[in-house]
Amino acid sequence: MSSIENKSSSSWLNSDRRRLILQEYGIFLAFLLLVGILALSNEFFLTPGNISNVLLQTSINGVLAIGMTFVILTRGIDLSVGSVVALAGMVSASFVTSSATAGIAGAPYPMVVALAAGILVGVCCGALVGFIVSRFSVPAFVATLGMLSAARGATLIYGGGKPVPALSPDFRWIGTGNILGIPMPVILLAVVFAGSWWVLTRTRFGRYIYAVGGNPHAAKTSGLNVTRIRFLVYVISGALSGLAGMILSARTGSALPQAGIAYELDAIAAVVIGGTSLSGGVGRVTGTLIGALIIGVMNNGLDLMGIQSYYQQVLKGALIVGAVMLDQKRNQGG
Amino acid sequence: MKKLMIALASATVLFASSAIAQEKLKIGAAPYGLNAEFMQIWSAALEEHPAVKSGEVELTVFDGRYDALVQQEQFNTMITQKFNAIIFVPIDIEAGATAVQAAADAGIPVVGSNTRVNSDLLAAYVGSDDTISGYMEAKAVLDKIGCKGNVVIIEGPIGQSAQISRLEGNQKALAECPDVKVLEQQTANWSRAEAQTLMENWLTSHPGQINGVIGQNDEMALGAVEAIKSAGLKTSDFAIAGIDGITDALTAVKEGTITSILQDARAQAQGALDLAILHARKGDYKPQSDIWAQYPDMPFNDGKDKEYNVPWTPVTADNVDKLLEMRK
Repeated sequence: MSSIENKSSSSWLNSDRRRLILQEYGIFLAFLLLVGILALSNEFFLTPGNISNVLLQTSINGVLAIGMTFVILTRGIDLSVGSVVALAGMVSASFVTSSATAGIAGAPYPMVVALAAGILVGVCCGALVGFIVSRFSVPAFVATLGMLSAARGATLIYGGGKPVPALSPDFRWIGTGNILGIPMPVILLAVVFAGSWWVLTRTRFGRYIYAVGGNPHAAKTSGLNVTRIRFLVYVISGALSGLAGMILSARTGSALPQAGIAYELDAIAAVVIGGTSLSGGVGRVTGTLIGALIIGVMNNGLDLMGIQSYYQQVLKGALIVGAVMLDQKRNQGG
Repeated sequence: MKKLMIALASATVLFASSAIAQEKLKIGAAPYGLNAEFMQIWSAALEEHPAVKSGEVELTVFDGRYDALVQQEQFNTMITQKFNAIIFVPIDIEAGATAVQAAADAGIPVVGSNTRVNSDLLAAYVGSDDTISGYMEAKAVLDKIGCKGNVVIIEGPIGQSAQISRLEGNQKALAECPDVKVLEQQTANWSRAEAQTLMENWLTSHPGQINGVIGQNDEMALGAVEAIKSAGLKTSDFAIAGIDGITDALTAVKEGTITSILQDARAQAQGALDLAILHARKGDYKPQSDIWAQYPDMPFNDGKDKEYNVPWTPVTADNVDKLLEMRK
């Protein structure tokens, strides 16, 4: 559908140019199409309250998927994000709980202390994975699979397997507060997106990430510190997982040991739907954001229409495979 | 039964009963997984059983990691190590039967607890009937909205035995209020975060129409509470109920936001252990846990019963402080 529209509106362009436009805006057109269909089929879909809901429900996956984009651009993968979400959420919560048994000594501390702790946990997990992947050439799949298990175990050990309830109001503001009516998680997602967009498109480090993913050998021979770049993308993904973990526990009001299970799958799905190639070097963070929005809008829209969540899973699966099929076709064509 | 009596008689004749009491019993507990609060309270209660504390029983808890095969392998381990009895909380009603069969073949008594297994080889079962809790929580919601208006049901993972039974109870209560309409009914897989998203979306698609929320567990009821709060609505305008009595839910009951039906993990665990010891000692045992005194409706009956139903306790303003105190 989108390709037909595109052809008719840009028939004056040559085919290469047309393909490029489809590549850049195809996902965006698909998103608009989805929004259009849902707006027509449900009267509540485009209300301000629901738009705010969709953005809120996309925020956590959006933050994770942006971190995942950095990793996938270098031909890596980060399967540990869901477990790091739980660990960072629980560690940070233990600093701001007013529960006598669940917190660490002296809690509740001010919100910034918890924020620092949560980010630090994410950075440490990411650094460990990054170190293993970049120095020891362990496949990212294996290293992050290990972290998926280890961080979940660490979460259970840290909290004794129990939730950390009663989080302080200033910490909960990260998840439930708003500035000028815009929910805080949405603002955080916007900040993360803007920062990542800037890093990937406007800095030398960003260009290096594409270079490492596009052709690691060429990047190495041209003098890039491939090891360091590989290391840093996992640190970024870890830090953003830490942030997402805090948003999650601030939203639900309690840090749960079983939080974030299978979140890595939605994050990878958003990246793939957004057009980033799993073979590295190609993709953009704007696509990832739209990919995450497509997943969020689809779940929300089907809920509004009262359709069983099982259909949502089937549709998401079809969407992921469809997006990759499109990507393959594009690559062959180009 | 006859076999048991003979065994009991011969045991008392052959050994001085004190000699048996001194011989340490090896009892294994195989819960389906230890990641959630309920099973942690359950295993902690086992460790606090008088017979474990006195050293009469050497207890080993195996984490089933939510995998039927893992549980089966743990049974094989216990059989090779010649455990005297096993307490079993299977992840799956059908898959657990093979494990019970293997233990029975080795002559090790298995006592079920909390979740059911489709096997008639269990020495006894101590649990709570989920249809009753489903009925109780739905009734609490319906009473609060005066048997009229609209409700939503947030379900457990479809097909799990607790979801099936609790829904059956929900529907029984709903049948008594024919004027009440169920606007939505969907699963949130026992998860607070999933229930929060679901409720946010329902509040959008049914603005001002939802009067009651029946959450099939506390986590999901609490997720609905967060959704209501973040939509800027008052929880006092909704009747919300959950099941299990997890600590966060007790706090919410204290604040007056939800109703919860407590599932007594401690009674299920300690009751099962008393029965496991009894069967390991071939009947020569008096129960030591105080839970039998706590629930006069569930008499020990010399361990002769096959099934012990631990009553559900509605958490109210009157008992919530005491229950919270026990969690510390």
